[in-house]
Amino acid sequence: MPENPYLPKLSKIIEVKQEADGPRAIKTFRTQFVEDGFTHECGQCAMLSVLGKGECMISISSTPLEKEYLQFSILKMGRVTSAIHDMKPGDLLGLRGPYGNSFPLQQWKGKNLIFIGGGIGLAPIWSVLQTARRTRAQYGDITLLYGARTSADIVYKDELQELKKEMTVHLSVDQEEPGWEEFVGFVPVNLLDKKPSPGNAIAITCGPPIMIKFVIANLEALGFKDEQIYTTVENKMKCGIGKCGRCNIGLHYVCKDGPVYSWAELRRMPQEY
Amino acid sequence: MDMILQKKSLAPWLERLEGYDIYAPVRQDDIWNYAHVTDGRDIDLGYPNTVQSPKPIIFPQCETILEFSASEDGTPVMREVIPEPNPFVVLGMRPCDARALTLYDKVFGGDIKDPYYWKRREKGILVGLACTVPPSPNCFCPTVDGSPCSTDGLDILLTDLEDRYYVESLTKKGENLLNDAKTLFKAPTAAENKAAARIKSESEKKINRQVRQLAEVPPKLAGMFDASLWDEEAMSCLRCGICTYLCPTCHCFDIADELSSSSPLKGRRIRNWDTCQFPDFTMHSSGHNPRPDKASRLRQRILHKFHYFVVNHEAYQCTGCGRCISLCPVGIDIIEVLDKVRDYA
Repeated sequence: MPENPYLPKLSKIIEVKQEADGPRAIKTFRTQFVEDGFTHECGQCAMLSVLGKGECMISISSTPLEKEYLQFSILKMGRVTSAIHDMKPGDLLGLRGPYGNSFPLQQWKGKNLIFIGGGIGLAPIWSVLQTARRTRAQYGDITLLYGARTSADIVYKDELQELKKEMTVHLSVDQEEPGWEEFVGFVPVNLLDKKPSPGNAIAITCGPPIMIKFVIANLEALGFKDEQIYTTVENKMKCGIGKCGRCNIGLHYVCKDGPVYSWAELRRMPQEY
Repeated sequence: MDMILQKKSLAPWLERLEGYDIYAPVRQDDIWNYAHVTDGRDIDLGYPNTVQSPKPIIFPQCETILEFSASEDGTPVMREVIPEPNPFVVLGMRPCDARALTLYDKVFGGDIKDPYYWKRREKGILVGLACTVPPSPNCFCPTVDGSPCSTDGLDILLTDLEDRYYVESLTKKGENLLNDAKTLFKAPTAAENKAAARIKSESEKKINRQVRQLAEVPPKLAGMFDASLWDEEAMSCLRCGICTYLCPTCHCFDIADELSSSSPLKGRRIRNWDTCQFPDFTMHSSGHNPRPDKASRLRQRILHKFHYFVVNHEAYQCTGCGRCISLCPVGIDIIEVLDKVRDYA
């Protein structure tokens, strides 16, 4: 019998970082495999599990070029993510995967990359950003637009300060707050304000579904063509292998045919995500 | 290889099938369902149709996929629970239910095989019973490329010739099963061959319901995502899910953990049938639901069966058994829905 696709492997948590606190707490976990290795591509996900609580699909936010650990940034939401938030370095997390397709980085060589993230939606595109950063010479200008509800909800705060030395970073928060000197307003509005050029560019976006919709509309307004816009979508998943039947958008199971789509592909699919 | 088995020899045949578990229709008050039988006399092959298809024999409604506990130092330990069933025979399967398994094979097969499904599937020998009269007033198998005498998925097909069965072995597995009790079978006479052929040719004409020009429906559905039809058709739905739980082709499932003790850790991961008709099926943990209402869920059921599956697997994901029609508490009728889709302007 070949390997059981439902059987997780155990992965040891080596580092936990609190990214955001409060009711929408976010933590970043770095894990190492106890058993054999694991390779993934940018944009793929893994099914994490806490025995006794269940499983949930989380995107891998570390670059495949990083061989020492896998990274997951997790918003505390339901039963499983709450249980993961209670875990500490040394604890064992169940992990199976990787699942899904990936961003076509090979096709983007020489292009300008514009990353547009909202909230925890920075995590699924972070692996692409980190890969581009480590192979910097292969790409043109790199720009990041990122926003969160409040400054406290911003993830990767330290890394973002570092990134500012290497690329253009535009941050935003949804509402005015004392001490905030960057843009105030929703991410799609910041996008219109900063007006990145569509020339030789690829835009990569992820965030809440409603944000993605407005970001895409505004990218189109700025002259981006459907083929220049990429996003990664999420739906509820259980199996990860296209059998449990719940994550489909039309003909596609997001777990195996997605989660990465160009707008040229996604706009022709039912808007059911 | 075609043979004849006297009906009175059915129980003796089953007795000779040593080492096999036998599943067959058994009457429980006014309904029939498949059960594990140990006495051939409990079997009732004169049944209209079983309420539930035999799908749970191969894809149980609830099954353990792994067990977990903690070692003394608290490290979690997992143990996969792969079913190891005895070889088994499903006797008296309706051809539509056997065809449904050929559709399951597409879902649980493919690049990644589902070990739980195949461990059972490979141990089963499927003995069908041709529908000489339609077992339900809502049968419509010919519409979806089936037939009351279809042999798809079966190892043996029985055709009722009053006091005897006309027995066709269709696979090596089927042939071996007959060889195990050779003396009970005899070669058919010319008259018996003729009688079986006549019954088969007449069986399809006895089916009352159909969807005309179903072939027009899948391409049409591709453009009907935003049609108002779904709101109208789903209005009366109680979202009970019976249409999917009793469907022999519906395969959607949930995976959940069940704890018997939290300290020390002990429990199991289970897989349960689930349905696209429940709101929770697609609801994100944020509360966002891509299919927030009954209309979008009915649409998913119809589109999955008659559009998505057709494109992805080149078959309708429906075998025309009629259970979802007969047992829907509010009378949602998939034949009528498909008719309306075809005629939708």
